[in-house]
Amino acid sequence: MEVLREKVEEEEAAEREEAAERAEWAEKMERMTKTAEVSKEETIMTQDELRDLEKRLTSIEISIPAEYSFINKSLIDVTKLPPSYSTNSPKEEHLLQVADNFSRQYSHLCPDRVPLFLCPLNECNVPKFVSTTLRPTLMPYPELYNWDSCSQFVSDFLTMVPLLDPLKPVIKEEEKAMPKKYTVKPPRDLTSKFEQEQENKRLQEIKNQEEKRLREAEERLLAEEKAKPDPLHGLRVHCWVLVLAGKREVPESFFIDPLTAHSYSTKDDHFLGIESLWNHKNYWINMQDCWNCCKELVFDLGDPVRWEYMLLGTDKPHLSLTEEDEDVLDDDDDIDNLGKEEEDKSFDMPPSWVAQIEITPDEFETRCPNGKKVIRYKRAQLEKWAPYLNNNGLVCRLTVYEDLQCTKVLEIKEWYQNREDTLELKHINKITGLATPPPPPPPPPPDPVHSYKSMLPEMDRVMEFYEKIRVDGLIKREETPLTMTEYYQGRSDFLSYRHINFGPRVKKLTQNSAESNPRPMVKITERFLRNPAKPADEDVAERVFLIVEERIQLRYHCRDDYITSSKREFLRRTEVDSKGNKIIMTPDMCISFEVEPMEHTKKLLYQYETMIHLKNEEKLSRHQAWESELEVLEILKLREEEDDAHMLTISIYDTKRNEKSKEYREAMERVLHEEHMRQVESQLDYLAPFLAQLPPGEKLTRWQAVRLKDECLSDFKQRLIDKANLIQARFEKETQELQKKQQWYQENQVTLSPEDEDLYLSYCSQAMFRIRILEQRLNRHKELAPLKYLALEEKLYKDPRLVDFVKVFV
Amino acid sequence: MSRPFDSMDPKVMDDDMLKVAVVEQGPQEEAGQLAKQEGILFKDVRSLQLDFRNILRIDNLWQFENLQKLQLNNNIIERIEGLENLIHLVWLDLSFNNIEAIEGLDTLVNLEDLSLSNNRIAKIDSLDALVKLQVLSLGNNQIGNIMNIIYLRQFSCLRTLTLSENPIAEAEEYKEFIYAYLPDLVYLDFRRIDEQAREASKLKHQYSIDEMKHREALMRARLEDEKAQRQMLEEHKLAFIERLNGPFLFNSMYSEDVEGNKLSSLPGVDELLETYKDKFVIICLNIFEYGLKQQEKRMAELDTFNECIQDAIRENQEQGKLKVTKFEEKHLLNLNAIREESDLPNIEKKLIECSDDITDLFNVLMTLEMQLVEQLEETINIFERNITDMVGLFIENVQSLMAQCRDLENHHHEKILEIAINTLEKILKNEMDEDLPDDVRALFVDKDTIVNAVGASHDIHLLKIDNREDELVTGINSWCAHLLDKIHREEIVRNRKRVKEINQYIDHMQSELDNLECGDIIDI
Repeated sequence: MEVLREKVEEEEAAEREEAAERAEWAEKMERMTKTAEVSKEETIMTQDELRDLEKRLTSIEISIPAEYSFINKSLIDVTKLPPSYSTNSPKEEHLLQVADNFSRQYSHLCPDRVPLFLCPLNECNVPKFVSTTLRPTLMPYPELYNWDSCSQFVSDFLTMVPLLDPLKPVIKEEEKAMPKKYTVKPPRDLTSKFEQEQENKRLQEIKNQEEKRLREAEERLLAEEKAKPDPLHGLRVHCWVLVLAGKREVPESFFIDPLTAHSYSTKDDHFLGIESLWNHKNYWINMQDCWNCCKELVFDLGDPVRWEYMLLGTDKPHLSLTEEDEDVLDDDDDIDNLGKEEEDKSFDMPPSWVAQIEITPDEFETRCPNGKKVIRYKRAQLEKWAPYLNNNGLVCRLTVYEDLQCTKVLEIKEWYQNREDTLELKHINKITGLATPPPPPPPPPPDPVHSYKSMLPEMDRVMEFYEKIRVDGLIKREETPLTMTEYYQGRSDFLSYRHINFGPRVKKLTQNSAESNPRPMVKITERFLRNPAKPADEDVAERVFLIVEERIQLRYHCRDDYITSSKREFLRRTEVDSKGNKIIMTPDMCISFEVEPMEHTKKLLYQYETMIHLKNEEKLSRHQAWESELEVLEILKLREEEDDAHMLTISIYDTKRNEKSKEYREAMERVLHEEHMRQVESQLDYLAPFLAQLPPGEKLTRWQAVRLKDECLSDFKQRLIDKANLIQARFEKETQELQKKQQWYQENQVTLSPEDEDLYLSYCSQAMFRIRILEQRLNRHKELAPLKYLALEEKLYKDPRLVDFVKVFV
Repeated sequence: MSRPFDSMDPKVMDDDMLKVAVVEQGPQEEAGQLAKQEGILFKDVRSLQLDFRNILRIDNLWQFENLQKLQLNNNIIERIEGLENLIHLVWLDLSFNNIEAIEGLDTLVNLEDLSLSNNRIAKIDSLDALVKLQVLSLGNNQIGNIMNIIYLRQFSCLRTLTLSENPIAEAEEYKEFIYAYLPDLVYLDFRRIDEQAREASKLKHQYSIDEMKHREALMRARLEDEKAQRQMLEEHKLAFIERLNGPFLFNSMYSEDVEGNKLSSLPGVDELLETYKDKFVIICLNIFEYGLKQQEKRMAELDTFNECIQDAIRENQEQGKLKVTKFEEKHLLNLNAIREESDLPNIEKKLIECSDDITDLFNVLMTLEMQLVEQLEETINIFERNITDMVGLFIENVQSLMAQCRDLENHHHEKILEIAINTLEKILKNEMDEDLPDDVRALFVDKDTIVNAVGASHDIHLLKIDNREDELVTGINSWCAHLLDKIHREEIVRNRKRVKEINQYIDHMQSELDNLECGDIIDI
């Protein structure tokens, strides 16, 4: 509700601003170019155009304009508005009459055209002429000096600017190299062509059917989406902004849609025609035929045949003749010029009745009303917030829906700004629970993207880390309830992938170690990149620790010219032979397949050493996995804390938000204020009340001066005595009360409950404290009073008004 | 030098001693038991310690081909020998011996740490092969000439040097000299070199160092120059047109031609020879350039061929790998299923399935290989045809150019003959104005003699040209034959290897399956 009101106000504000700056610029331009302009006269059609760059265009709703009010009155506190809102000045009344007359003539002359939009009711239900609703205002923000950023600002108040279509992924076709001379011929195709054809036909048919089905579904969907052909096409009327060519290097007239801040050429098909246009000075009606939209319209407002003006001569409608005259007349003083112009006007536009718009820096930064803005798109919703509005740094949230009714959420993207952890994007995919993030920005914080279904540990989750930021080279960690997959990069041991399968948690009978009961690991799979320093046969590509089975599987990298790779499987069985000796290693504990059989690997010793090594590695991997789990918990905890309390970074130039500088500034202000107060006190005029008693304007006589001084002093004395008496009275009252209480206590001492006694005791101590303070104050007053008296006396002797008379007697 | 064990009998480094040492220093505990059980091969030993054993002669070490660390300190070794095979040696300790000269280290290119302290070495040399040398200990030797330091300049990795207790270490300038001349050294005689002292020494010796550097640079430049020239010649040889880029052939024609040289002193022959040479050299240059171009073309052709062949093989390999991976995935699941299955008929059914899968894989892989063989064969044949054609064309063109040379020679021969006969006539008529050297005049006795002489010269020339031509033709032909032979052979080897690989893999899979079968039956 509040939003709407602000919207309207702001819209008006922006309009006014634009008008103002344009007008100003226009004037400047005019002055600057006038001397050189004689040759360019044909291009500058009328002086109107030079004066007013920005026009309002409007036509009317089907209903009668006077009855039409687009403002919901209940939203606005009418009483707080200035009187110009609720009343019409005589000049305005006159203007309304003129407009009424004009409107009647118009409807008489053009009965087939819709009535004019001339005097809509304002928020106080008072008819106001449209032009007077515009008030050119210059704002202190450079952003508002140009039409594009200005209209962007306005549109932010009104509705959302549609974003560009998401870029469609460009599929780059891999370039096929030209077949080289010795490219081998493809293997002979021995399959039956006929069978293939039949098969193809069959497949084609299935595909066709599928396609047909899909197409139908799509069409149905499209039909659903596309509303019926607009029955009101060409009947609706809107307001938008027309910027006329000429000033501020605007080469061509164009339209601005205030809702989207987009500019359109006047030849755009969306604009079907113009009924009328206005600015803060005049109102014109289009007399040209709009059969071909606005493409053929001539925007020469000085041409009375094409544009019927309402007020004569507010601005020179025509053109060159007068302009030439003016060239001769005025070259320097614009105000002068304006005055002259006003003189020969038959009727000029009354000043705008609206209050000057004010946009505080705060509001300007907030942009949208309340700093929040929601825009709905087909199947999506975009929410925007001003920076620092949300204390978690959230500035933008895009919600994508699956259906047109926007009930099923597909994914949510949240953008953040100014966060101390430099989190920039959070991406939640509701369908898969996972998501792929965009590449990270250059300054790498620890944890850039985190997609999840739930913040609970051991659930589906993907965490991505910036490259090179982690010592262990981890770049991504994926989790599902029973697995954890980690991806590494750039490690010296060439580890690139670790996948852990967990088994169901074993319930411990004794829950003494409550903090951690990790799930048992069933399987750890690790993959390694090729280490070029080792021969492929000795370079492990994948190792699988089947922990429960005590089995370790190794797969080595494939040699360059081979298609199979070596494998080795260790199965540790601690067995005892017939003599009771422990069997250390037997050939069946290591099953190897070697592409190129090697000698040394046949040795039990080698196998034994490899196995021992692997056992150690297994321990390390398990430990690593366990640490990873802990880390996840830690990160989740941290995340939660972060979500609770975000620290936002604040630029040192942001004086408003930077606490330190704020404190400093406030301290400075306080000091200044105190200084000021002191000054005020020192300038306090003791004599003022007594001087006021004397007849004003007369010169002070000596007698009067002496009396004045005496009166002042005796008054002060009296005040001091009064003060002492007051303190004395309070002291006595307090003492009496205490005595009463003590008496009461002594009488009732036996029957008192301990609480009452406590109460009494605390009262006593407080009362004693008060009495002591009062005593001190009285003593202090007694000490200070004579000094104060003397000080005043001296001050009075030195007072410039009395000094001449009093001195003599001193 | 008197040592406590000098009195003891020298010992021989025999197999037993080595075996004992290896076992002693080999793996311990459980691994040791295994090692004992199996025995350790000498070539698997990486490190060996043979100190305080009174060894006189290094011997029997040739089997330790993978040895990286060898300690022979505190023996009575007199010569460095028997280490030629230990090319992987990184660490060699020969300190506290009786060595008098550095030798026998020429094959130890990987050596990084060499200790020769407490010997009787007088001169640092024979270390050129040790390009990776980082630590050199020569303490307590008899090195007396400070110029030995200069020799160490070539070891760019050398960081630690010990030369204390040598005669040179007593010289006043010893340290300064080393600081200045070995700027990359970090430790000298167990101490880190002080940067300031180093700078000071450098300044002091700057002049001589600069001069030496200049000499070294010159030497390097010369060596590089020579190398470049050798390389160029090699390239030309590959194109079979070496030394045809100048008058080399022409000069060689006259180098053994006694008569021809004699005849050149005849009047008019000089100019004739000059023009002949010019024309001849031009033709040679033509051959040279043509040969280079052809060589380039042949190489390009060969490169394309190799590239295409490699591409085809790689693609085929990828396909094979894919098939194997797919099979393995499926196979693993099947095996697991079999392990968990308890019903015997079901097990058997599944085993048969698995076995069928393996056979299928075999067929698929073999088909792929057969396909590749066919493809390659065809391509190789095309290449063979093309390269043979190219070589044929090259030979033809060179031959026609050589024919031009012969024509020139014939023409020249005729001219010479004419001049010779004219001169003979003049001499016979005693109209000869100029004096001819006696040996030349001796030719002009009668017509036969002079014609023979001119003819002999001509024959020699033709022979030279023919020889060069033959050389070129044989060279390129044998190159071509070798190349094609190599390609065919490689393809056969490749094919064999692949077939072997497939068979091996399939056998392994099958035997794994069989083992599983047995195991299961036993389990049940």
